[in-house]
Amino acid sequence: MGISRTGSRAALTVALFVGCSCAATQAGAQSGSVTGRVTTKAAGARPLRVTIDQRVCGTELPDEAIVAGAAGQLANAVVTLVGVKADAAAPNGMILNEKCRFAPRVQIVRPHAAITTSSTDPILHTTNAQIDGGKVLFNVAVPVPGIKIKKAVAGAGLVRLSCNTHPWMRGWMVVTDEATAITGADGRFTLSGVPPGIYELRVWHESLKGAAQRVTVVAGQPVSVHFDVK
Amino acid sequence: MAALAAQPPPTTIPEMWDAWCARCHAQDGSGKVIEPTIVVEPMDFTDCRVASPEPDADWELAINAGGPAVGLSAEMPGFGDSITAEQTRGFVAHLRGFCRETGWPHGNTNFPRPIFTEKAFPENEVVILPAVSHRSTLNDVNLVAVYERRFGKRSMWEVALPMASHATTGTARRQGIGDVEVAIKHVLLARADSPAILSAGFEVALPTGSAVRNLGRGTTMFEPYLAAGTVIGSTYLQAQAKVELPADRAKASRAFVYNLYAGRDLSGSPDTWTFGVELNGENNELAFTPQLRKGLTRTGALGAAVGVRIPITGRREQGTRLVSYLLWEYLEPVRARR
Repeated sequence: MGISRTGSRAALTVALFVGCSCAATQAGAQSGSVTGRVTTKAAGARPLRVTIDQRVCGTELPDEAIVAGAAGQLANAVVTLVGVKADAAAPNGMILNEKCRFAPRVQIVRPHAAITTSSTDPILHTTNAQIDGGKVLFNVAVPVPGIKIKKAVAGAGLVRLSCNTHPWMRGWMVVTDEATAITGADGRFTLSGVPPGIYELRVWHESLKGAAQRVTVVAGQPVSVHFDVK
Repeated sequence: MAALAAQPPPTTIPEMWDAWCARCHAQDGSGKVIEPTIVVEPMDFTDCRVASPEPDADWELAINAGGPAVGLSAEMPGFGDSITAEQTRGFVAHLRGFCRETGWPHGNTNFPRPIFTEKAFPENEVVILPAVSHRSTLNDVNLVAVYERRFGKRSMWEVALPMASHATTGTARRQGIGDVEVAIKHVLLARADSPAILSAGFEVALPTGSAVRNLGRGTTMFEPYLAAGTVIGSTYLQAQAKVELPADRAKASRAFVYNLYAGRDLSGSPDTWTFGVELNGENNELAFTPQLRKGLTRTGALGAAVGVRIPITGRREQGTRLVSYLLWEYLEPVRARR
């Protein structure tokens, strides 16, 4: 199948970003912020051995299902403040097929946002966007580098990206209008402009699972949170 | 990057096929590749029974909008944002070219089936045709089950089992099997460009229905016919002319039967609505049948039609009939495997 290992990398958790039952106070000029980090003790997977389109993809690619630093800092974890509307519009989605991987691996898009997919690779990719475990939203061929194809996503949820010609390629779009952040390579995230209140803070990762936490946001005082996901 | 530079981008349809489509469909169109990257094995286009019978419009839709647009696998992506309409047509011609045999009637002559007019294109179908009529002194319920099977490149045989139930005022209802028909059909001419098709058929109706109970004609009937179809603009025209010749003229009369159909699709999808009307004649009797057809699945493998046959002449003898069919193209996928 083009890679040395097969097997499902289905997400262990599907955060559905439903409305919060917490007593959130969204009005008010004063706001606070939630910062934190996500770590894991899970080891990253070994690189994938590529046997298809090696002239473009190379013979080996990093397995980005778990991207963790030496101290366990986890990238590509999505942290959501349940019930809080995002205070800024997320940029429209961009799904780039780049060197036989999706870039970015994980992104946040707003419901009904325009999605552009493109490629840097002179080979056929397909951008197959599927509601996690269900309906295919779109599956478009991206056969030539530089082409830009526009699509749209509708309601909130988790969208899995795959390529039908390179089965190891995986990406995720978290479609939500809630306050959401993605951890960087340092495992850190920041949610700013949060109205004071008590909230549920959820973490989602494509391969790992972490428990939700309750946070109290006070105006002008950053709250620090640590998720340890397994 | 030197290796990439050495590989020029594909510019012709065969080059694009090899660079893009062959990953899943194989260079030879067989759908068999050494390292498959998809779950559902593609159709084998080298099999002329696969590559020939569908109209170009269905293939073009699959290429442009992806498999789900025609009820097939979502693993087939849409290329409509990446290629021109001319290139789409080129891909259809290319995939049809994997069928190396000549003589298979082109799918562009595979028109939607009317209710009465015999379709000229050979099919692998099971068709159930229920009909209900009511006249002043008689009411009928008829149901004909038809099994059709292609053989060779251009031929088809079929067997039809009619069942009838009718009652005349003041008498008990009579029901049973009617005259079983067996038939063959052969395509004489089929033209892909400016699509047109002409077929000849021969039906034999065996006297299996009781003539006494008015369920059969009591004698074998020989019924040669011609069936033809074409499309003008986006309107299908289909016609059939048939002579019914009884083995025993004391028991049944000769008849000349003719049907003419005109109809058009509301969209290019295999599950489109098709509106049509038929002119139906038998000797001096004439009727017309407005009708509506719908593909019941995205693949079009299931379809249904309903119409009303309204007499123009001989109103009392013919009566008004509610007519319909339900068909299943049994070699076609009803829906995609996942």
